[in-house]
Amino acid sequence: MLNPIKYKVQICCGTMCYIMGGAELHLLNDSLPFQLKDKVSIEGIPCFGRCDSNEKIHPCVLINGEELDNATTQKIIKKLLTLEDNDLL
Amino acid sequence: MTYYNNAVITKRELLVRLIQLLDNDSLLDKIDRIPVEMRPRTNSPIRCCVHKDRAVIKYKIMALLGFNIADEEDELTPLKEYAVQALEGYTQNGNFLTVVDEACSSCVQVNYTVSNLCQGCEGRPCQVNCPKDAIMVINGKANIDHQKCVNCGICQKACPFHAIAYLPVPCEESCPVKAIRKNEDGIEEIDFEKCIHCGKCMTACPFGAISEKSQILNLFYNIKHQKEKTVAMVAPAILSQFKASASQILSSIKAIGFDEVMEVAEGANMTTDHETNELLERLDEGARFMTTSCCPSYIEFTEKHATELKPYVSDTPSPMAYTAQLAKERYPDHKAVFIGPCLAKRTEAYKNPNVDYVITTEELGALFAALKIDFATNNDDSVVAEIVRPESRGYASSGGVTNAIKTALSTEHNIETELIDGIDKKNIRLLKSLPKKKSTDASFYEVMACENGCINGPVNVSPLKVSQNNLKKAMREIEQKQTVEEINA
Repeated sequence: MLNPIKYKVQICCGTMCYIMGGAELHLLNDSLPFQLKDKVSIEGIPCFGRCDSNEKIHPCVLINGEELDNATTQKIIKKLLTLEDNDLL
Repeated sequence: MTYYNNAVITKRELLVRLIQLLDNDSLLDKIDRIPVEMRPRTNSPIRCCVHKDRAVIKYKIMALLGFNIADEEDELTPLKEYAVQALEGYTQNGNFLTVVDEACSSCVQVNYTVSNLCQGCEGRPCQVNCPKDAIMVINGKANIDHQKCVNCGICQKACPFHAIAYLPVPCEESCPVKAIRKNEDGIEEIDFEKCIHCGKCMTACPFGAISEKSQILNLFYNIKHQKEKTVAMVAPAILSQFKASASQILSSIKAIGFDEVMEVAEGANMTTDHETNELLERLDEGARFMTTSCCPSYIEFTEKHATELKPYVSDTPSPMAYTAQLAKERYPDHKAVFIGPCLAKRTEAYKNPNVDYVITTEELGALFAALKIDFATNNDDSVVAEIVRPESRGYASSGGVTNAIKTALSTEHNIETELIDGIDKKNIRLLKSLPKKKSTDASFYEVMACENGCINGPVNVSPLKVSQNNLKKAMREIEQKQTVEEINA
């Protein structure tokens, strides 16, 4: 059977990311549009070290392994929709 | 409820920066640079100009250092001078909120305003129905004379175009006890004769103009330089606030530099036992009902606004009080630090000689972040007290105290319970009606100032839904541990 999960969203659970807005991202599933429902896996992962840079980048997520800085729920959804659109072409 | 917004993030960034500077021993050199670094000239200003933004940051830092903004004597006093005093420790006065007047936007005096939806109609129901003759039509649009308007709202109801909008003052609207009001300059002022430290105004203000007076720098300075030994008393709600297991969170707290770590759930065991016996005794003696005593904001409410309820409040000490008592017995030369999601615990701790410091979830998060403490590398199971019951961790959620007491009661007792979830205007009316009634619906009332309980406290970092899941996990962790122990035994 085909695995329906196409997109893996990994949210940094390092405390810096978590308190700077990362906590809210764990509610992503509630905001996913219908075309993405059941296609996205959401998990928390330990800090992957992006915060060593001096820039303001919190919170960070990985979408299919690709880094997204200053993540918000809307930014993640936008990225996922772009991926989905490209995939359907 | 902490709604996620940029003002909250500013506060957390300030906390992280202050702790980082203190950790690098450069607090005094660099503290006055923070406003410039956080609000550089190149950014578009949030308020009128970058200078105002910087002033706001300065006063927010002053509050986080533990000072009352109104106590400022000289506007030119640099932050460094306040920092020196903060590190030495300062005397508290029992009031833990301060209004950052620079940040307060002095939200409208008059709550009603005419929007550009106004059609300038012939009927003009807003004007003809206004009891104070406060509406004039100028250039075909209605205008409200703020000198005459008394905020009755009739014009809004009368307008068929919905052109008149109601603009709330968020802090005043959120305060359940009318403790926050404007002074003659339009800046909000807190009346501490009325304030119950529920923290609702603080989370409601989208300008972040209401700040708590923190002890974090003083505490962290003493921990870092080992000036005193400390025991952390961790409230059960803290275990719901990070994406990590209870033992990871507790051992990470130890990694900050606390000498000992205790769970306040240990004290909650004692509260449950004592309160259960007290309830049975009181009901035997003919009392109609009893309320819980563990929510400090509720206790402040009964003292300041409903003394008639006081005879019905349980005399059982709160889990924090029991834990602090245990802490002083086990570690007599240690300073006891309560870590919790609650603003009102600051006032409870102020009155309790066994508690020396209070820090919040946000401040704990800032410590973890600034010191780069990783949950993954801290997972020492031995910090978890063995005797903690799952229901004691459950105290953090509304209904948790009731559940703990029902579990402790033997099955022959059938006691009606009711939950008063959140001190708001409606629940205040309900609470105040209880002593007047001949008979009440329940004989045990659990009262929580925050709706959904401590996991929804004013200084938390996780959204409610995430907190609820995390707390369930933390409760299951003990159940599983106990099952494993039973199998081994």
